[in-house]
This record gives sequence, structure tokens and C-alpha cells, in this order.
Amino acid sequence: MRVGATLLLLDGYCYQSYNWQILRPLGKLQNAVDILEQYQCDEISIIRPIRDKDDKTFLNDIKTVANLKSLTPISFGGGLRSQEHIDMLHKLPIERLIFSTPFIEQNTQLLQYAKNRFGNQAIQALLPFKELNNQIYIFHSANNSFIPLEQIDISFIDKYANEVILFDTKHEGDKNHFYRDILNKIDIPNHKIIISGGIGKDDIKFAQNNNLASVAIENKVLHTEYSIKEYKNG
Amino acid sequence: MTVEIIDIGMGNIYSIQNLLYKLNIDAKIITTVEQIKSDFLILPGVGSAKLYMEKLQQSKFDKAIIKHIKANKRLLGICLGFQILGEYSQEDGGVQGLGLLKGYTSKLGNNISNNQWINFHLKKQNLIESKWLPQAKLSRKQSIDGRVFYNHEYGFVCEDKNVYSQSISLGLDKYSSIVIDKNIIGVQFHPEKSQTMGIELLGMVL
Repeated sequence: MRVGATLLLLDGYCYQSYNWQILRPLGKLQNAVDILEQYQCDEISIIRPIRDKDDKTFLNDIKTVANLKSLTPISFGGGLRSQEHIDMLHKLPIERLIFSTPFIEQNTQLLQYAKNRFGNQAIQALLPFKELNNQIYIFHSANNSFIPLEQIDISFIDKYANEVILFDTKHEGDKNHFYRDILNKIDIPNHKIIISGGIGKDDIKFAQNNNLASVAIENKVLHTEYSIKEYKNG
Repeated sequence: MTVEIIDIGMGNIYSIQNLLYKLNIDAKIITTVEQIKSDFLILPGVGSAKLYMEKLQQSKFDKAIIKHIKANKRLLGICLGFQILGEYSQEDGGVQGLGLLKGYTSKLGNNISNNQWINFHLKKQNLIESKWLPQAKLSRKQSIDGRVFYNHEYGFVCEDKNVYSQSISLGLDKYSSIVIDKNIIGVQFHPEKSQTMGIELLGMVL
């Protein structure tokens, strides 16, 4: 199982995020990636926290990622909603693409285009979720709202995504609070699942015991210098 | 020494360029066959096999690569850029390869992909026995040992017993992690994303 990290990127700068609401400035992307690389972090997911259709910061973020010097596998996503966006990623030091809205809206044309350009193995689905009264709601970023899980075709996601990131928005920034019951409520094979949001050592043990693909630790990786090693040995 | 990276409009070209910069090697991205000047080419590979081969043919890099190899010049193929060197690939309903390596590419299995770090080792002796001669002499190491990053759904099955081939892992022993055949090296993993092991590997083979 891989142990990775999630970094939020917006308008050229990194942020730490708490409970899907508060963004705390972190600094330059290169600095954050350099630190993670020193820890031999297995992979880094760079996600742009786009909450709407309007996206004026896309070009600036593409330039930031294009200048990134990294020897660690990078996934990139957030606001990838057109073929033009995919074309702009050519040459960039990224291996995998993260999509959310195209999976929720079943945009097969865009997903197929991305598959042709980057390969099947490169496509990751991001499902930010929250649990409320034992019901699961998925964040539909293009509409900036949560929708009931029942409105989403999970079999479509399983078919088109090589891996699925289940991101617990409610517990983001917390420790050992990832909502584990989500695995029983979403019918996707465990070996394709990456969990993120509220990840702690206990969650990593849980992921290992359940043969998940990966865990993506958010903010805490950069909070204390020894943390990633501690998690990897957890 | 200058290394040229073939750019056919697909792939994480900047990652490979960055890896070479870390080794203080001049890396040039080329988009046309007329730009080929170096004795060492890198063929990166990300994408679907059919579109990748179409782009190689449209840009005439397919014939240029074969010519380069026949002139006894060196080539490193990475991931899909390695698989395409074989005779054919089962991806996208079947795609003809460049036929430079004896073998074929097949799917790892239904709904199976190999997205992980796996241990890898290589001895300089393996290169020497395969008649691959490093020229830049960037490393005096006799062997390298560490973990490398894989991200693929298809793998190369080597059918040539006269070349050096190392399997990916016990579970994927049918598929090659690396093939060395005189002036060709193909790797299934991504050295450009394998942190220190990528640097050590390139340091040894360049």
C-alpha cells in the first residue's frame, strides 16, 4: 500500500484546508513538494479546490505545475472539465489526472479523451463526501453543492476510474476520524480505493488491513517534520 | 553528452528532463526527426498504445528510431515507450509495435493495474553481459538496489532468451521490469518518478 500526501493548490500557492471550509496559506508548491520528497513520500496529489464553474486561476496553476521539479509521482486535478484543459497538461511533470465533476456528470467523451492521452492507468476519480445522519452526500464541485450518493452511478465510476479517492470533507484536518463505513456504502473494489481526509495512524492500519490502494494524508504531513516517517511505519 | 527526449505530444516530458538535469546531463526535447543529433534517445510513454503508435508514425519517429538502433546508437524506452518496442500490443484491440524487441504486450488481468513501488536491483555486470556500454561514466557503483514506481495496466512479455530480462515481481513474473538488448534498454517502471533510484539507474546506464 502506498502512503501519499494531498496538497491544495490555488492561484500558484499551496493551502492547508480544514473541514472543507477554511484555507490556511502554506507557501510555494515547490517548497512543499521538496519537503515531501525528502520524506520519500510515495505520491503527491495536487488538487485545486475549485468550488464553482468559473475558473480564472487555471492558467496560473498550470504554469506553477509546469515549473515543478519533482522525482515523486504526481496526480493533478481540480477543475479539469474540457479537452483544452487536458491538452494544456501535455509535457507537465504529472503522471495521473484527478477528475470529479466529469465522473458525476458521466462525461464519457472527456474521460475517454484523457484516457487516450494519458492512459487508463492515469485516471483517478475524486469523490469528496460527507456523512450526515448515516446518509452519504457527494460534493458536486461544478454546482458547489452536496448531492445524495444515490444520485451517482458508482458502476460508471468503477468502469472509468483506475483508482477512486474517497475524501472525507467533514473530518479533513482531524486525526483518526476518517469515516470508514464509507467502504460499505460505495461498491468499488478495495484495491482501487484511496482514502483521504482525517487520516491518522489508526486509519493507515485500517487501510493496510483492508488492502486499499493508498492513503493520502492531508495537512498533517507538513505540520511536523517527522510525521510522514511515523505514518509510513505505522 | 546530450540526451534527446522524443516528444510526440504525449507524456510527462518535463519529468524526464528534470531527472537528467539532476545528473547534470544536457537534455533536449525534440519534436521532429530532423532534430535527432544525439547517440542517446529516450522514448517516454504515457497514453493509449493505438494513439501513441499513430503519433509515432505521423511524426516519422517510428522509422527514425529503427534507423537509430540499426546504426548501433542507444535508446531508453520508458513504460509505453518500452512496450511499443516489442512486436505487438494487445491494447486497443491490437497494435503493431516497432519490432525491435522480441515479445509482446498483454493486459495484466481484468480490472488489475500495478500502481505501486516495488524493489528493483541491477548489476553493472548485467549491462556488460548484454553488451550495453555506459559512456558517460557517471557512477562507479557495481550494483543498485532500491524501490521503483510502477503505474500500468499492460506489461511486456519478453520472448527472447538471449537478452537480459528481469521480472517485475513474484506476482507479475511473466512481465518484464527491464529488458537490455545491446543498445536498447526498456523499463516498465518510471525512473523519472522513482526518486533516488531513478537517478542511480540513469547514472549507471548513461
